[in-house]
Amino acid sequence: MATINWKKLRKAVFSKTVYRGTASIAVLLALWELGRWLRMPILGAAPAPSEVIFLLREIVFAPDFWENWSASFKRVLTGFVAAQIIGIPLGLAMAINRVARDTAFPVLEIMRPIPPLAWVPASIIFWPTTESSIAFVIFLGAFFTVVLNVLGGARDIDVRYLRAARSLGSRPQDIFFKIVLPATLPSIFTGMAVGMGITWEVVVAAEMIAGKSGLGYLTWSSYVGGNYPLIVIGMISIGIAGYVSSSLIRLTGKLAAPWQRLF
Amino acid sequence: MAAESQQYSSGGAISIRNVTKVYDPDGVNVLAVDNCSLDIAPGEFCVVVGPSGCGKTTLLNAIAGFHDISSGEIHLDGKLLCRAGLTPEPGADRIVVFQNGALFPWYTVLQNVTYGPEVQGRTKNEAKGAAMSLLSEFGLADIADHYPGELSSGMRRRVEIARALINDPRVLLLDEPFRAMDALTKGVVHEFLLQAYDRVKKTVFFITHDLEEALFLGTKVVIMTTRPAKVKTVINVDFPRPRSFRLRSSQRYLELKEMVFDAVHEEAAKAFAAGERELA
Repeated sequence: MATINWKKLRKAVFSKTVYRGTASIAVLLALWELGRWLRMPILGAAPAPSEVIFLLREIVFAPDFWENWSASFKRVLTGFVAAQIIGIPLGLAMAINRVARDTAFPVLEIMRPIPPLAWVPASIIFWPTTESSIAFVIFLGAFFTVVLNVLGGARDIDVRYLRAARSLGSRPQDIFFKIVLPATLPSIFTGMAVGMGITWEVVVAAEMIAGKSGLGYLTWSSYVGGNYPLIVIGMISIGIAGYVSSSLIRLTGKLAAPWQRLF
Repeated sequence: MAAESQQYSSGGAISIRNVTKVYDPDGVNVLAVDNCSLDIAPGEFCVVVGPSGCGKTTLLNAIAGFHDISSGEIHLDGKLLCRAGLTPEPGADRIVVFQNGALFPWYTVLQNVTYGPEVQGRTKNEAKGAAMSLLSEFGLADIADHYPGELSSGMRRRVEIARALINDPRVLLLDEPFRAMDALTKGVVHEFLLQAYDRVKKTVFFITHDLEEALFLGTKVVIMTTRPAKVKTVINVDFPRPRSFRLRSSQRYLELKEMVFDAVHEEAAKAFAAGERELA
């Protein structure tokens, strides 16, 4: 299972899909570069890829660039983990307990449409430190997605499985730990992957306003300082960081729910 | 004690007395089962045949303890299972094999089979030992570590029957378990079920709308009327066991088939006409 199938890998790497993807990125970069030199509207205002790469060659050796990465990762991780610790049990409780569902659902549904950005001022006021208010805004970004995915997944369990389990003599705790929990696991990981994406969207908003470090802060302060190529580097960094974190979650999900690959 | 082969208990007399079930969705009463009475002897293979949607499954679900009944009583070996106003409890003495299969996809074949014994308080090792010997008895040991998603539908059904039998239930309740299977697969699974039945001699309550299946498997074939379901005819199918697929070409089988076809056709025609009326 864990061994690498080289033939399959080679086939995947040298496939038409990869060629097309590479070509489209190359064309985009070329147009962008060209637009800059031809002073085309909109495109011409952005720093060209060559400028970005030129700056990138210096910046990868600068320690404070990587400190921004680790600062953002720490915040995302804090808010994200907190969202899981509170969100997963809450979602499960709402799924199996009608009182919990009836009580919590309206509150959640009122809070959910409020964009995390709108929480920034309030959270600066409420929380004692800047770090905790940033983590809180990130937490909110992931929290609702996690709760709703867990709730939906657990409520969607086919009644056949519950009946079969009861027919086999299950006690309530067996139903929970051996049926509801594993049946919900794929939805839990979907919620995590989507939630992780949102936390990276939110980290920028949070850091722009309240931060002194981080990738979002880097992007915003580059704008304020007029270093345009650095804006692009900040943006791409956030994109890559989000992609890497979501991929890690998907991978963990695949390992935790091996039966899922069969469907 | 010899651990190689599981010992099976006897018992499993089902008595269904004047059972009526009224569904009440959206305030409109639907009579699903109407004053239905039926006795099934311990170890009898009882097949219930009726048109689709006639209320057979309602009856099975009541025996299984998945829902209550509106009036009447159901007993298992003299113990009251179901009565109006009583919230029924499912139990490992009556295990259900479902229409679309209900193996837990997140467990391997072995984990599915050990599930029952484990939740009923046997240790993991005991359960595993019993499961492995049952699986090899049924020729399923090779697939013990596979997930249900990796198996064919016929294989899944066999595992599900093993998962039920390991609990030594008094009754096996099968709700159209082989529906939507192709004829060849069905033939193989039928033989498997008959072999298992000959070995354990459990009471079987088997629902189907496939007449050939009913005659081939059953000792007692109960033909239900169209909804509301009640017993129309009971036919004793006295073919000796063990039965083989050759039975299907014998003279006696063909005679019985004709008889049953007539009875069921009448009900199917009624059900069809009722459907027409509902649509009109």
